[in-house]
Amino acid sequence: MTKHVLLNNVEHKDLRVITRRAAQYGDDVMCALTFPAEFRSVQAHYPIFFRKAADSGQFQPFAMLGFRDGENLFLDEQGWDATYLPMTVERQPFLIGFQSGAAGAGAERQMVVLVDLDSPRISQTEGERVFLEYGGVSEYLQRVNSVLGAIHAGIESTPPFVAALLELDLLESFALDMRLADGTDHRVAGFYTINEERLAALDGAQLERLNRAGHLLPVFMVVASLSNIRALIERKNRRLGA
Amino acid sequence: MSEAVERIVVVGGGSAGWLAAGVIAAGHQSGAPGAAQVTVVESPDVRTIGVGEGTWPSMRDTLRRIGVSETEFIRDCDASFKQGSKFVGWVTGGNDDQYFHPFALPQGYTEADLVAQWQAGHADIPFADLVSYQPHLCRLGRAPKQIATPEFAAVANYAYHLDAGKFGEFLREHCTTRLGVRHVVDHVTGIVPSDSGDIAALETKGHGRIEGDLFVDCTGFASLLLGGHYQVPFVSRQDVLFNDSALAVQVPYADERSPIESQTIGTAQDCGWIWDIGLPTRRGIGHVYSSAHTTDEQAEQSLRRYVAATAGAAAAAAMSPRKLGFRPGHRAEFWHRNCVAVGIAAGFIEPLEASALALIELSAAMISDQLPATRGEMDLVARRFNESFAYRWERIVDFLKLHYVLTCRRGSDYWRDNCEPATIPERLRELLVYWRHHPPSRYDLPRVDEIFPSASYQYVLYGMGFRPQSSVCARLPGDAERAEGFFRESAALTRRLLAGLPENRVLLEQIGRHGMQRI
Repeated sequence: MTKHVLLNNVEHKDLRVITRRAAQYGDDVMCALTFPAEFRSVQAHYPIFFRKAADSGQFQPFAMLGFRDGENLFLDEQGWDATYLPMTVERQPFLIGFQSGAAGAGAERQMVVLVDLDSPRISQTEGERVFLEYGGVSEYLQRVNSVLGAIHAGIESTPPFVAALLELDLLESFALDMRLADGTDHRVAGFYTINEERLAALDGAQLERLNRAGHLLPVFMVVASLSNIRALIERKNRRLGA
Repeated sequence: MSEAVERIVVVGGGSAGWLAAGVIAAGHQSGAPGAAQVTVVESPDVRTIGVGEGTWPSMRDTLRRIGVSETEFIRDCDASFKQGSKFVGWVTGGNDDQYFHPFALPQGYTEADLVAQWQAGHADIPFADLVSYQPHLCRLGRAPKQIATPEFAAVANYAYHLDAGKFGEFLREHCTTRLGVRHVVDHVTGIVPSDSGDIAALETKGHGRIEGDLFVDCTGFASLLLGGHYQVPFVSRQDVLFNDSALAVQVPYADERSPIESQTIGTAQDCGWIWDIGLPTRRGIGHVYSSAHTTDEQAEQSLRRYVAATAGAAAAAAMSPRKLGFRPGHRAEFWHRNCVAVGIAAGFIEPLEASALALIELSAAMISDQLPATRGEMDLVARRFNESFAYRWERIVDFLKLHYVLTCRRGSDYWRDNCEPATIPERLRELLVYWRHHPPSRYDLPRVDEIFPSASYQYVLYGMGFRPQSSVCARLPGDAERAEGFFRESAALTRRLLAGLPENRVLLEQIGRHGMQRI
């Protein structure tokens, strides 16, 4: 269950957030939504794939953390075994909401911070303080605010990025067949990635358009991220061996 | 006249003309330098028919072949998804009398004797319900795919219901803007023969002579070139299939949330049957009947009763049906000299199994695939074409007749006459005897591209209540278990698909909002 409320320094003055990473806090996910501006950081650790949203069929990029539902191979007893957390993971239990401006003061929608009070991360006794003693914003909350801002801008930039890929036929479906250390065969399907043959065949004008729109760098970041598949399979094999 | 076949002139627009033009143009890069040029000559005052129409799943391949987007097709043609047909009242006319003819093949088709095991262990369950997930999807109004399924790909095999008038316009736009098809809007005032007896050109009111190497007659009932100019005789099939009249109406939904049916519904009447096709914005309903057995007034009353029962008294009172008369049958040949007829110009029969558009697709594909390079080759291609489509018309007549001959309805001369052996084609009579001990199979329908697959014959045959007699031959060892395995597979698939597939209207709204992906 989730219970999203507007964050404020009166009702939530004593609110603390557990930032440890563990399955009990909902970190047991096989992938995390990402966005082009984050690809550079994400590709250093995780493969980046595209999947279709179930309710719209629109392509969305994800950092891949495991091979089946609920499997996050970066989680262990010590926490999250990587130096970069995808922002959509880091933001928990906060999210962005929108509120109409005060009556009469123009209909500008304002970005506000919501918190999920039913999240297992919520605590009164342990974890990061959200507000300072006299209601000031903690360093932790400042960081959360900037993460939420980046996610918001990033997710808005995804549709034009995907549209540019589709227009140039740069996406292709991708099935991952692997044989694990225990001899079992597995197939992960339903993912899409960059068609490198098509990418290599783009002409100068097409590349220039991609580059001017800021899409070229993230395209290559997706290509580079595929090197992490081997490392992810290794993580899986280590787990099977353990 | 030039020896090379480079100028293809399609006479008449509509679904037939534009589909033929689209398939030929896409297959031969019409408009490119040195390529064959396709021209469509369309009369300025064409009467769009505009009733809802059903297709076969082959339409998905045809649309992909001519390069249209399925998203745009669905948005522009008021199209919905069709997963087969439901026949109501054909066996006894009783309250629970209905059966499905789904597009999906039975699970494990040809891999086990499903029919024998159905009779041995599950004779109380309708055949289609046991061997296929699709009737269950249809009963709950489910779509055949999800929004994340790529264009033209299916989770459950499907075709379309569409607005034929809008479909013609959609194809015209695509043909003229993307496929390099030349569009001439003009009246054809005459046909100019060459010395050899071929057609050399069309005489038009405003564009003078339009010359061509191959003429495709898509002029509908007029059959201007094949029937009119060449006097190719018409072969009536009314001795087998009696229906020669139709009354069509458009009926609005109760509200914009009303569910859209997943299949064409064909409901038997005293002297014919009523089609009911659910488009996203309205239903297309019509009564097909035999003028020898009933009057227009009685047919209209039946139609009004049906509309009142399914859409309410107000809709029934408001309807003003449009009458359509037709001769069931086809031309004695379809390709004569340098003229080939496609669509109604070649023939027309009651729309019981949506064969009209499927035949157009098959005709257009064969013309395009085997397009003669020279006039010298054309007679060979014409002979093949005629042989092929004569065969197809025979199979259509057989298959449609199969829907009638097993009925237990005896309330009117119409149904009694339909069961008269003299009205049943000999090949069908023989097969009905053979099918007592063998299910319909590919041996009965040996061609690679049969218009109706043998599974369709099984669905209709057993849906109509035909029960095979147990064979004297022993079955293969393990066959019963294999068949049972497929029945379980079908049940498991049903549960999984019901859990994952949205209702038709939900999917159509998602397509309207987001579009489908090409991959």
